[in-house]
Amino acid sequence: MRALSWLYLAAAYGFIFLPVIVLVTFSFQDGRLPVPPFKGVTLRWYAEIFADDRLMSALLNSLVVALGSSLVAVTLGFLAAFALARYVLPGSAWMRGLIAAPLTVSYLVIGLGLLMLFNQIGLPRSLWTVGIGHVVINLPLCFAIIYASMGAQQDAAERAARDLGASTSQVLILVTAPMLAPSIFAAFFLSVTFSWDEFIIAFLLARFEVTLPVEIWNMLRSGLNPKTNAIGSVVFLISIALVIALEFTVFRRRK
Amino acid sequence: MFRALLTSASVLAFATAAHATEELNALIWCDHADPGLLEPFETANNAKVNVREYEGTGSALALLEQSRPGDWDVFVIDGIDVPRAIDLDLLAELPRDALPMDDIFPEVRMEELNGRDGKIYAVTEKFGYNTIAYNSSKVDPEDMKDASIVFSDKYAGRIAVYDYYLPVMGMVQMAKGGQTATMTETDVSAMQEDLFKLKDNATGVFGVVAAQTALATGEADIVVGGGEWLTAVLSEEQPELDWVIPDAGAVRWSQSIGVFKDSTKQDLALKFVQYILSPEGQARLATSSCYWAMPANAQAGNELTDAQKAALRWDEQAGYLANTQLYPAPDEDLDIAMQDAWAEMLQR
Amino acid sequence: MHTTKTGWGLLAPALLWIVAFFTVPMALMVAVSLWSREKGKIVQTWDLGNYANFLEKSYFMQGLVNSLEITALVTIISVLLAYPLAWIIAEQVPARFRRLALILAILPFWTSYVVRSYSWLLVLGKGGIVNQTLLSIGLIAEPLEIASTRAATVIGFVHFFTMLLTLTIYANLVQLPPNYRRAAADLGASGLQTFRHVILPLTLPGIMVGAFLTFVLCIGDYITPQILGGNNELTLPQIIMLQIGRRADFPMASAIALILMSVVTVAYIACARWLRLERV
Repeated sequence: MRALSWLYLAAAYGFIFLPVIVLVTFSFQDGRLPVPPFKGVTLRWYAEIFADDRLMSALLNSLVVALGSSLVAVTLGFLAAFALARYVLPGSAWMRGLIAAPLTVSYLVIGLGLLMLFNQIGLPRSLWTVGIGHVVINLPLCFAIIYASMGAQQDAAERAARDLGASTSQVLILVTAPMLAPSIFAAFFLSVTFSWDEFIIAFLLARFEVTLPVEIWNMLRSGLNPKTNAIGSVVFLISIALVIALEFTVFRRRK
Repeated sequence: MFRALLTSASVLAFATAAHATEELNALIWCDHADPGLLEPFETANNAKVNVREYEGTGSALALLEQSRPGDWDVFVIDGIDVPRAIDLDLLAELPRDALPMDDIFPEVRMEELNGRDGKIYAVTEKFGYNTIAYNSSKVDPEDMKDASIVFSDKYAGRIAVYDYYLPVMGMVQMAKGGQTATMTETDVSAMQEDLFKLKDNATGVFGVVAAQTALATGEADIVVGGGEWLTAVLSEEQPELDWVIPDAGAVRWSQSIGVFKDSTKQDLALKFVQYILSPEGQARLATSSCYWAMPANAQAGNELTDAQKAALRWDEQAGYLANTQLYPAPDEDLDIAMQDAWAEMLQR
Repeated sequence: MHTTKTGWGLLAPALLWIVAFFTVPMALMVAVSLWSREKGKIVQTWDLGNYANFLEKSYFMQGLVNSLEITALVTIISVLLAYPLAWIIAEQVPARFRRLALILAILPFWTSYVVRSYSWLLVLGKGGIVNQTLLSIGLIAEPLEIASTRAATVIGFVHFFTMLLTLTIYANLVQLPPNYRRAAADLGASGLQTFRHVILPLTLPGIMVGAFLTFVLCIGDYITPQILGGNNELTLPQIIMLQIGRRADFPMASAIALILMSVVTVAYIACARWLRLERV
């Protein structure tokens, strides 16, 4: 690789990891505030976050909402993509546009709209309402990814399956889904990523039980705290572990 | 993976259903979220206190508008806004003999705000000041006693303004010799120039977190609108962070606690109010992790350590109370005018 | 023969969800934007008062201008930074390390957005790494004021979107058939010429999709300007949150939100050529 490329790569990675390095470093800060100068190393903040019930339950909430809403989004997106790709339906261009529409609307606007809707119909805020909002933002993405990957190959396989007498649901579960596994997985993974760290919709639509970003925001209300650095680092480390695990299981197998 | 999801979903459902303990829903300011404050009450009464923090009485009232009767039990509200809550018939009358009214500092009892027609609807639980907080090793403490110093060029670029229009504009009003209680739209237009000057001298207009960080890291050496609530938490490690009430005076804030009229748990809610107003509860509230400030109940002094009382300037309160005024309490039109002036200042 | 009824049956859940939880709220928002908040209550006045208010008060328009300027700046800078990075990873990093390089480039995605933004505040502060480094190598004499300014907001955004765009541009680059490049080389084109006349046009749709995504996410983001901007200037999302927070003025907030949406729609129409669904 040329020297210039190496230089650019190094500079780019330096820029990308700069805030993360600061974040992780100051999670060990032996002082009240995670601000320079760095005073010394302590693990007390990590101990505190694991003892913090509200934080741990927020973590669990984030996980449940992310996995749950992504599951719904992927399922609905998959069915819709299949329907629009394999059936001739009147106004299908409009349908595609409608399902993809939320992609162009900011999360703040979507959250605001849902807030007002739930007020009007008297539905109280909760993690369920947050989940509904997250499906709205992830469904178009799942739909788009899966729809884009539907091709002639599956079509042929599906036709073959039908010729052999398979019903639609059998085709879906036994033929299409496995063939589209990479896209389905990518859609699911992306949805979980977006839902996990999503703030504004979770902020507007939750009541007592909150997700992690909102809990961090609440914690920060009282001032900067190395605890937030610690939880940020923990989440980061868990993600790295997950990616490594995926690397050695899912990705390797496809080679 | 599906099985795991089912398990966690059912665990969640089970956990929420299995609460045999009584629950209290409280709409609060962040200092009430401290587990150190809530746990003694929860254990003693076999209860669970669910808290929801809010910013600005406006958003609390909006939240209440969107809720059903019985959704909320306890209300922590800005002292100056209690009359609004009474007008909206939100609060339940509190029995006078159940409350330690005599122990509360006379100047903050404010029965004309917290009650009506001799009935009490809320009780002051904590109070403090929006004044000048500063780094005593970087600025001249004598200068800080002159409120107009922040408009001059001497400390330009080293000032942070606290992002709350009511107290800061109240402080400007007082710096110009006026009274917060009699602020009018003319006053607001007249102070627009001063606000612009303040903004030009400031490195930014910050919320609590950023203001505290700015002072701690040296981004700013003066916080207009800051006070003990900003510096007390940092006082142990950075004793050079201090605050003072300028000669022209400063603005006093207070928070009151009350029970919702539609609450279905009136007894438990009242018990919670009594706990918060008790000397032990007051001491914990005063030193709560979100921000420190003076407790309303003078008896709390017996529960606080000397170091804590020093950080809160316990012994100097009498002088402070005399030299401070309440927040402006604008009607809707004045409020809009003030918010517009503030937004104009922010956009400068 | 596929029956249309099955088709509708499969499509219905997704469609219903979008209609119920997106279309209806949006319609409600349009209605509410025509109401007003008076004397503490929301009154169904059915007029354009909020929109008139938007045009009248200069700080609203200023917010729109701020949002557009920042978003445009962020989009351009992010694309310029991300393209070379994506290119290097796709073309020059040895194949074995390609996926690792890509994952490294987007790893910070998984630290909390909120905490990461505060970390930027510290990095860019007067006592932060950037200033300390510049001071120690003698480039500047006094710490620069970067934190709590538009520069900080832009840097925070660029950090996030460079990662995002690297991902999307990379995905695009690896899909290019290598034959085109070989053909150009066979015809005597230099690397630069090949890039200008072959690669760039082919990847342009991918860039446009990424740029549009950046535009939408950036202009609607509340956290980064709120944490890093120091309230020295306000963007539209911050103004919307102000309306909700202080006065619970949902009518005004709705009006501003719809104006935000129209801006994005205009951007969409401008890019519509490249934004066909199959290209995602």
